[in-house]
Formats: sequence, structure tokens, C-alpha cells
Amino acid sequence: MNHIQADAPNVELTFVSGTLVIRGVSGACLDAWFPSDIWVYDSRIEAFRCDACHYVSVIRELQSRRVMFTNMIGAFRDVPWRADEKTQLRPEQVDAVEAWVNAGQRGCIVMPTGTGKTEVALTIMRYTRTSTLVVAPVRDLMYQWHRRILQSLGYDAGIVGDNVFRVAPVSVTTYDSACIHMQKFGDKFGLIVFDECHHLPGQLRRDAALMSVAPYRLGLTATPERSDGRHLDLPQLIGPFVYDLPITKVRGRTLAEYDVVRVPVHLSDDEQQKYDRYSEQIRDYMQIQRENNPDYTWEDVCAESTSSPESRKALVAWLAKRSIEDRAEEKLRVLEDLFRLHSGERCIVFAGSNAMARDVSMRFLIPCLLNHCAKKERIDILDGFAAGRYPAIVANQVLDEGVDVPAAKIAIVIGGMASSRQARQRLGRILRRSGNARATLYEIVCSGTNEELRSRKRRRHETFDGTIHQRKSKGSD
Amino acid sequence: MEPSISESRRDQTDLMLTKDLSVANLDFQRFRIEPDRLTQGKHAHYLAIVEAMLNVYRNGIGLRRRDLHRRVQNLFTDIPDCPPRRIEAFCKLLDDQSVYDDSWRKKAPALRKEVFGKAAPHHPLVQTADSLFESTVSHIQQRISSELGKPWHEIEDQLYADVIEFHRLKEFPGYPDGRALLSRYNVAQVQVALFSALSLQLRVSGNFKQILRAIRLARLMHTINRVRDSIFDIRIDGPASVLRETRRYGVQMARFLPALVASTGWSLEAQIAVSGRLRMTLELRDTDGLRSHVAPETEFDSSIEQEFSNKWGTEPREGWTLFRESEFLFAGQKTFVPDFVFLHQTGVRIYFEIVGFWTPEYLDARKKTLFTFADYPIMLAVHHLAESQFSDVCKSHRVISYKTTLTVKPVIEALNSFLNAS
Repeated sequence: MNHIQADAPNVELTFVSGTLVIRGVSGACLDAWFPSDIWVYDSRIEAFRCDACHYVSVIRELQSRRVMFTNMIGAFRDVPWRADEKTQLRPEQVDAVEAWVNAGQRGCIVMPTGTGKTEVALTIMRYTRTSTLVVAPVRDLMYQWHRRILQSLGYDAGIVGDNVFRVAPVSVTTYDSACIHMQKFGDKFGLIVFDECHHLPGQLRRDAALMSVAPYRLGLTATPERSDGRHLDLPQLIGPFVYDLPITKVRGRTLAEYDVVRVPVHLSDDEQQKYDRYSEQIRDYMQIQRENNPDYTWEDVCAESTSSPESRKALVAWLAKRSIEDRAEEKLRVLEDLFRLHSGERCIVFAGSNAMARDVSMRFLIPCLLNHCAKKERIDILDGFAAGRYPAIVANQVLDEGVDVPAAKIAIVIGGMASSRQARQRLGRILRRSGNARATLYEIVCSGTNEELRSRKRRRHETFDGTIHQRKSKGSD
Repeated sequence: MEPSISESRRDQTDLMLTKDLSVANLDFQRFRIEPDRLTQGKHAHYLAIVEAMLNVYRNGIGLRRRDLHRRVQNLFTDIPDCPPRRIEAFCKLLDDQSVYDDSWRKKAPALRKEVFGKAAPHHPLVQTADSLFESTVSHIQQRISSELGKPWHEIEDQLYADVIEFHRLKEFPGYPDGRALLSRYNVAQVQVALFSALSLQLRVSGNFKQILRAIRLARLMHTINRVRDSIFDIRIDGPASVLRETRRYGVQMARFLPALVASTGWSLEAQIAVSGRLRMTLELRDTDGLRSHVAPETEFDSSIEQEFSNKWGTEPREGWTLFRESEFLFAGQKTFVPDFVFLHQTGVRIYFEIVGFWTPEYLDARKKTLFTFADYPIMLAVHHLAESQFSDVCKSHRVISYKTTLTVKPVIEALNSFLNAS
């Protein structure tokens, strides 16, 4: 089919709203040249369109057929990095970079938290020297990337997100902003870095990959799997999985050895009374419902809460139970004991809710890292923690993924949901090597409550092998 | 027109619910999605509740957001037939028309930094002092309190005063009455259902210009097809919609809805991605009784049009009857809705466009459109100051010039000369 030529001399390729538009070529030509059927005729503009992510293959195809065409998509900006100090990479990081380069500069790298994914990405950025967009899951990670790029590459990157819209040849953004704005600047970046790339395959978020022309793509994650199976789309959106470093391989080497200690606490009499009253209320309600309908389940309660005040009350009772577990007073006492025990060591506390995080902050007068924290405060808290100005900090889910917490050796989980990824990421926070000290993760859970069940579920993951059960916490009972 | 999700600041009329506040009935027999709708007939008892909600806010100046929401929730305790999301949605709509005090946005973080900085050297603060740890909570609190020169309970109150739930209500412009809030709720639930829309199909039999303008304002793409005489189908979606099913233009479609609801002569069918592969249809028409919170766009582009229309009246003059904006003209994929159509009793149809004296850019755009539609019998009324710029248009179109107002006489003369020429 090589003989087929463009029917008009003016073949033109443009980037329009996150898509490529080609003019001056007939449908028959496109069919012959692109067997993968990527082009679709758009009658609204009387031209053919395809997703912007096909840019490289489109260019290659046109060039290999010696088609003369005007490429309205400009060349990507070269980025000469100011700083040239080289970070000393560990062998597995070197392997990861090489694997990515050898795969044609497209692909996903799987490395556990704390093994230096960021350095791998920065090395790749230094290597490609092209305009780059880094996409992070949340805004504090976005700011963290901004700082890391400034520190090690000496570049003040643009920011898109958190009500800022400042695009520069190297920019950082969040998935949500990227998927909205990619239709505007998807033709500007030669390299896209998707941090925690298991977030990318969401139905809308994937537009961040589809609407970009970037020939070079890098995905980074510790946990590629998604429960919906969409991680199978990652090779298409980013590139093949080129490197995988299992956590078991680095345990005790790159990562410190760690212990998991479970501290059961009991509800106070007052709390227990309330807890039992709510439990009873729910039980009674379920019993009455089951007399009429033996198959009645908790899902039905949720469904019926829209129409029946009674089931709504049951739902409220359940939420109140959760709140008692979450904010049990005893937890604050155990926390004091652990702070005493580890006085002089940096402690980070993970709360199950913003309210509990603020409770802890108010009780111990320690900084609290929440979603609403502005950039300035966030940086003050994290820097202060790193410098030892703040011996302890408390956070809610904000720190779940990838946020660099400077070498904390003690983490204390006092609540949270039962997802294994969340627990794994949290554990990652304290796994950073510093000296020979072993890290410890404490889990404070209310015994005899649903929270205990959730904790068991949480520990089912391989990372939690070897949990030490502490029967009684010091000072309790 | 290419769409984009604009990041510019929006005014109050553009506020919408969030997806987690969506309440809708899914009809699995007919695959229809019916956004929650509170009607006077079925939900008469709601009128009292929404009035009470407005009173919670009217009398709640100075209260924290969280407490206002609790009070609103309490109004519903014994009301049957009320999804919790509905209550939350009402809270959001009330908040949308509230002014909260956010003066602590900068002060509270500064206070925290100061307090935590002072407390840090004494970490950990213990309940009871012993030989190892002598800094008790109460002691440190007292110390900080005297250093800052205000009582501890005040510091405690201010420390997290920037958290959204703790913002205090400053003013409540609110809604005129309970019915206005109910109307807003009903439209807001349709909007939030449209967040997951893949495409919209409109059937339009009037108000073309108004609807088309709203589509363009929402930066959506459209395809127009004539069904019959002056009934048109408009399909609304975005650039990537031809490539794959996508919800990415749903928010813009939702933004377009209030303007549509404010006009008449339309029906709508939207394909909604409910979940996974489940698709349902949302149907709506102008006669469904939704009331928009945005005012209908002014009927006329300019006062000159309005004056002229009034002067002409509804009766035919010398066989010519005047109709307003009742037709789309097509040239390829381009469409044009002239201001007026003159229909002669013989069946001859002349389009009439009034060109005001605007910016050079406006005049250029107008000229470009007119050249594209050179094949149609279009008559122009051009302001005398702009007339010179339209001299080249005279070749294809009949041009009348006017000074301050446009009178009927020269128009009829021009129409008749058209008739004689054809």
C-alpha cells in the first residue's frame, strides 16, 4: 500500500482540545496507513480525529511513507537543567532507569515506597532534557514534586492545581487538574511522569494520558493493582511494566527492619455504655426487620434510610458507634504512654478522621496535617518535623501516599479504614533507612469492637507478617 | 467552538451540587433516570421544612457551619421519605447563598505555628507530671496563654477557626422564599445527574438564538439537523465524543441547563452513564415545570430590534408577516439564525438581520457570516456609521441604512423590490 499518496498536497496535523486532527488526507488513505483504526471522521469539523496519545505512531507512519505534511504541533522545549550534581543511585534504581530507557522511554516502574522512586524519575528527567509534566495524586504531593525538582534540578516548575494555573516547560499538577486541562496543554510536554500511576486508569482521569501527545511516559507506583482490574490498561496509557522490585526483596536492606505492635484499648464505661446502647438499637431494629424478611441485611438498611426514619436512625446509630471507636478517650492515654516511651524519637500519628486528628493536636499541642492546610503550613510542618523542631505530628489520610516524611522511626495508627493499600503506604512512611534503628508501627485499636475486625483485615497483607501482639499497653487497666 | 472546562471564577448562579449529593430514581424497566424532584402535590409538607431551613440560616448569623447543618438535619428527624443526601444537598444550596467569615484563613495557621512552636520543647505534654516528664498539659496551656495575653479557651476556640466546618455565618442573602429554594433544588438535582451525561439531544422549536448562545457560552459542540419546518434537533457533546464515550463534558452540559430551563420550546434527552456499563436516559421538557434561577435572556439582541418588532406589530403589512428568530440557516456545518423572517402571502421568505454599530471585530465577524450565507435571501439593516464597511456585502445582500431608529417604510419598500426582482 506504499504507493498510496495523500490526495491533497496540504496535509496538516493539529492538536485540538486533546485530540489530533488531520486534514488533507482521505479516509481510504488513513485506513490503509493505520490498520489499528484510530482515526474517526468528525462531521462537525469535516476532518478526521484521533486521541492525542497516538501522536508518535502517527508521525512515524507518515514519515515512513514519506508523506509531506505540516506539523502544527511544535517541537518540545529543550530543558537545560541548571544543577548538574549527580545523585548517587542505588543499584536497583540504576536498573529501573536502564529498563525504562531500553523499553523505548515508555513504561511503568514498580518500586515499594521508600526505595527512591522520586530519584529514579528525576534521573530520567535529567536524561530526557525535555519539557515535562509531573502528575501527582494530591496537591501536597504536587508541591513535594515542585520542591524536589527545585532541589535536585534547580528548576522552579510551573504549578497547575490548588487554584493556581501557571504552566511552564516543566510543570507539576494533580490527576484531577491534568484530566481537566490536558485538552489545553497536551501538546506542550515531551515527557509525562505519572506518580502513583495506579490512579491513572479511572474513567475520567485516563484523559490525562489519552489527551497528551507526550512520546516519553513514565509511570511510578508501589501498588499497581486495582480492584477493578483497570491496571491492565496501564501499558496502553503509559507503556509496559519495565521494572518490578518486590517489597520482600528490599526488606532489611534498603528498608529498615520493622515491627508491628498492636495495642488494644478498652472503651471507658461511659463510652462502652453508649456503644452498647447503639449496638442494641441496631440489633433490635435488625431483629424486627428480619421477622418480616429473613434475608434483611445491612445493605437494606442503607437503601431504606432514604425513605424510613427508623432505618435512618439505625444508620445514625452505626455512625455514632464508629465515632466512639474512632475517638475513644483511652487512645489519647495510650498515645501519651507511647510518646513517653519514645521521647526523643520522631513520632508520626495517623488518625482515622479529621476530628480525631484535631483531638490529638489539641491534647498534645502538636501540628496537624490536614487536607485544608495551605502550602506554607504544610511545608512548615514537614520541614519542622525533619529538623526536629516538632518532635511529633499528627495526620489524617493526607500522608497515605508518597508524601516524604523525613525518617520517622515511630508511626502510630489510631484509626483508619481497612484497605490494605492504605496500611501498606502508611507503613512505608516509617520504613526509611536511617542508621540501624528498627522502625515500629503501633496500631491502637479498641478491643471488642468492629475496629478490631478492621485491624485484622488490614494486617492480612504480606507486609504485616510477623506482627507482635502486645497484650496490655503500659499504663492501661 | 471548542469547549474547555473554564477555570475562571464563576458567579453565584453557576454554583452546583457535587456528585456525592445526587439523588435520583433509577427505573430499570424503562432505563430512565429520574433526578429527585420535590413537587407541590407529593411533597407539600416540604414547603414548611424549607421555610424552617431558611429561618435556621436567617437566625443563625454568628453560628458555625457545622452547627447550622446539624440544625437543618434536626428538622428532618421524623420526616418520612427523606434520603440523607437530600438534606446534605439542601445544606449545600443554603451555603451557596451564604457568606461565611473566613477572616481566620491566615490568622489561625499563624496562631497554630506559634502555639505548637512554644509547646514543642516540652513534648510530650502529660496529664500528670512525674520525675521524668514534668510538663503537664494544663501548665503549658497556662504558660502559652499568658505569653499570648489571652485566656486558653479563646485560643482553643481560634486554633482551628479556619476549618470550613467551623466557619461562622456572616450574612445570609439566601433565597427569596421557600419555593425558590425548592425550585433551585429541583434544577440542581437535574444538573448533578447531567455530570455523568455522555451527550444531550435537544429538540427545539423556538428560542433558537437564545439556546444556541447558551450552548456556545458553555463551550460545547453542537450538530443541528432539521426535523421539519421550524423544528430542529441539536446534538450537544464535545470534541472527544466522536472517539469514545466520555463524561468529560457533563459538567459543561449541567452548566448549560439553567439557561435552557429559562427558555421555551424545547425537549431534552440525555444519555447518562449511571455506573460501569449501565446507561440510562434522562428526559426533560420545557413544560415539566422546572423553574430556573437565572433570568431568561433578554428577548432581543438590541433595543433596535425590539423597537422595530413593536412598530411592525403582529398583523401582516402589504402581505408580509414578521417572525422572530424562527429558523436556522445552514451552509455546510455553519449555522446562522437571522433576527427576523418575513413571510409573504405568496410563500416568499426573506431573512432580515439588523447590524448595530459595534466594535470592528463584531462587524468583521458579521460580514464573514454573511458572505458564508450569500446564497440565502438576506436583507440587512446597517447603522449608517458602519455602512461604508458593508459596501462589499451589497453585492450579495440587500442593505438598508438607519440612523437612530429603524422605520417600517424603507423595509417594506426593500421587501417589495425583492419580491419584484424574484
